[in-house]
Amino acid sequence: MTKVKICGLKEKQHVQAASRADAVGFVFAPSKRQVTIEQAAELAKHVPVDADKIGVFVNASLKEIEDTVAGVPLTMVQLHGDEPDELVKAIQVPVIQAFSIRTKEDVAKLKRSLADYVLVDAPGTDYRGGSGNVFDWSLLDGADIDPDRLIVAGGLNPGNVHAAIEQTTPYMVDVSSGVETDNRKDTVKIQEFIKQVKGDSVEQTLEKVGFFGKYGGQFVPETLMKAVKELEDAYNEAKEDPEFHKEYHHYLSEYVGREQPLTFAKRMTEAYGGPKIYLKREDLNHTGAHKVNNAIGQALLAMRMGKRKIVAETGAGQHGVATATICALFDLDCVIFMGEEDIKRQQLNVFRMKLLGARVESVTKGSATLKDAVNEALRYWVANVEDTHYLIGSALGPHPFPTMVRDFQSVIGEETKRQILEKEGRLPDTILACVGGGSNAIGMFYPFIQDKEVELIGVEAAGQGVDTDKHAATLTKGTDGVLHGALMKLLQDDAGQVQEAHSISAGLDYPGIGPEHAHLADTGRVEYRSITDDEALAAVISMSRLEGIIPALESAHAIAEAQKQAKQMTADQILVICVSGRGDKDMATYAEKLEGLS
Amino acid sequence: MNRLEQLKSSGNKAFVAYVMAGDGGLERLREQVQYLQGAGVTAIEIGIPFSDPVADGPTIEAAGNRALKQGVTLQKVLEELKSWTFDIKIPLLVMTYLNPVLKFGVERFATECGKAGISGVIIPDLPYEHKQLVQPQLDKENIKLIQLVTLTTTDIRLDAILREAEGFVYAVTIKGITGSRDELSQDVKMFMQKIRKKSPVPVYAGFGISKSSHVDMLRDDVDGFIVGSAIVEAFNAGKIEEIEPLIRAVTTA
Repeated sequence: MTKVKICGLKEKQHVQAASRADAVGFVFAPSKRQVTIEQAAELAKHVPVDADKIGVFVNASLKEIEDTVAGVPLTMVQLHGDEPDELVKAIQVPVIQAFSIRTKEDVAKLKRSLADYVLVDAPGTDYRGGSGNVFDWSLLDGADIDPDRLIVAGGLNPGNVHAAIEQTTPYMVDVSSGVETDNRKDTVKIQEFIKQVKGDSVEQTLEKVGFFGKYGGQFVPETLMKAVKELEDAYNEAKEDPEFHKEYHHYLSEYVGREQPLTFAKRMTEAYGGPKIYLKREDLNHTGAHKVNNAIGQALLAMRMGKRKIVAETGAGQHGVATATICALFDLDCVIFMGEEDIKRQQLNVFRMKLLGARVESVTKGSATLKDAVNEALRYWVANVEDTHYLIGSALGPHPFPTMVRDFQSVIGEETKRQILEKEGRLPDTILACVGGGSNAIGMFYPFIQDKEVELIGVEAAGQGVDTDKHAATLTKGTDGVLHGALMKLLQDDAGQVQEAHSISAGLDYPGIGPEHAHLADTGRVEYRSITDDEALAAVISMSRLEGIIPALESAHAIAEAQKQAKQMTADQILVICVSGRGDKDMATYAEKLEGLS
Repeated sequence: MNRLEQLKSSGNKAFVAYVMAGDGGLERLREQVQYLQGAGVTAIEIGIPFSDPVADGPTIEAAGNRALKQGVTLQKVLEELKSWTFDIKIPLLVMTYLNPVLKFGVERFATECGKAGISGVIIPDLPYEHKQLVQPQLDKENIKLIQLVTLTTTDIRLDAILREAEGFVYAVTIKGITGSRDELSQDVKMFMQKIRKKSPVPVYAGFGISKSSHVDMLRDDVDGFIVGSAIVEAFNAGKIEEIEPLIRAVTTA
């Protein structure tokens, strides 16, 4: 299948429009499309991880090229000048060498190139690096160029690219001016060009979706690919079906008890001495936390797909309890994997799940916590994929899970938006939510993403401190990596082994973070901070005594950060905290850690 | 010439052995490879330990954990391979999850594999859709990226995967993770026939192959067999000679 490269990108919206392309090109040589390393690095954040980022150079030095490759970073280099063979050989990443084709002699020259790929173009006019003129494709006839290294450029556009591919059967086609209007890239033309190449072919069903910038993807064993694709199709279809929404909202209101209030916290407002504080009360949901919003949505989807067996992982047990509850309601077979350590810490939830009819499987491998429970749930899914749905509990995992979980949790933010407009007639200044995998936070934030005036803050678990080795501050301390089906931010060692996370709250005790959060952190739309175990415990006491609401340990992280944030804000401002769950499940921990409390 | 390109021409059924690098100490790897080569295997997959091996069953996961406890890393394994001076006549492959490769650097991984004489790479959590993440870099070193196909691979994807397959196709015999099993399901036979009809490269069956009865059942429908857990178990128990009848059952019939 011929690949597509969209070249000469300068704007984020055009990079995003090219998300289905196999490669994007940034021009570093003098040209009207020239970008700096810094600009390209910023744009590169929006390129899916498996697409190539290609830098275009004209007679640059090896040092310039190497610095640019490292700075962006680039995965390939394209040379458009008179670069010597030594330079081609010295470049570490794969190299494309471009040739302007006028005659058969030019064709012979490109056959001698030492580069990994050769790009054929029409002769340039003002600048080196392609002119947009169409070259005579028939010059390649009988030239015996290995089609696996041939890239065709030069005057391609959505109208002629099909013919160019038929005639030259290249490895890749490259377009720049052919997808522009008035010397600027055109979103519609970019998408049309890609569609023309990928067509109604196999590729269309394999199209690249499920990325948030470079994060996300479907990094799962082949056995699961059919299931994730089926899930993707089923979800896309259900999403558009009003009946599905009706059913989902029916259970949210009649069974979960939504909508939940946005409570004005009068005494916290006075005590913290800053903005008006509102609490989004996910703690009032049936089963005690936001997890049930997602469990209902996914269970309805599973039944729609004809699957009546559910497997899930759980850390603190909240997602396990929510899943077991919904499986009881809908009479679904339910297996929950839970780490041995967590089973010890959360005996009450283990019993609740059993009472609800679920089978709880103890995971003794690895650190015997949430990460290992996900591993076992994935293995179980691999072995039982035909009749079982994996009901993942956070905005994690292979596409479509992060998108789907976000959508099912977005009810939190949608209600909040409607409620604050009713109460205050305007949007809040700041919204805070705790982040482990990130499902309550993304559900709260998503409806506000486009409202640039609303400051969004995610709060991670700093455990015993981000400078110790006992924390779960993935965005503060993590690096890019693949775990559980997606590229995200990960706590890992130098060899790429995933490290154990630590937090007093079992629900934040995960070494990764959902891919959409990783992207929102990169782009700066959401700011991520961290709160230690001790600060979270102090916030539990504070909120319990000020508002008569005992929060879950997870939610207490957002509350602790709110107390700090309030000091920077004024009385005419509004702050919203997502209280993701109630503290009943944590009572044993509170009793132990807060012993002697008076 | 990549050694994997010579596989089909040999005619005999192939036996691909999997070893977990560093299980029992990285210094044991060379004797294990030499032993397997001497025992007549066709190729050897060298497994890189990973903290979260979701495609693997308990045997290989436990072996990986033992290796991780010894401090084994991708880098150390590649260094070890580069230091070998004994004669290796058969293709060596690296089997690793994606994350250690990303952390190591894809380009560097390809280059170092090239220097270590690696002929192919298997990455179980890198599906066809995302293979561009490593394919160009491996191509540059003429290292084959081996694709897996399974009983759940749809026909439309199967065609796409096989069209670009190189080296050999790793055909997974079970719906599940790696590990020894008593029985293979009957639809496996038809599945293998279907793949073999379409595949431009040899088709090797893997996952769950541990007995000569498995071999007998699929012999006519595949070009070879991949054996992992049974070998890892045998090495760990100090009884690797017990695997020799299985090797002979495949390669001499």
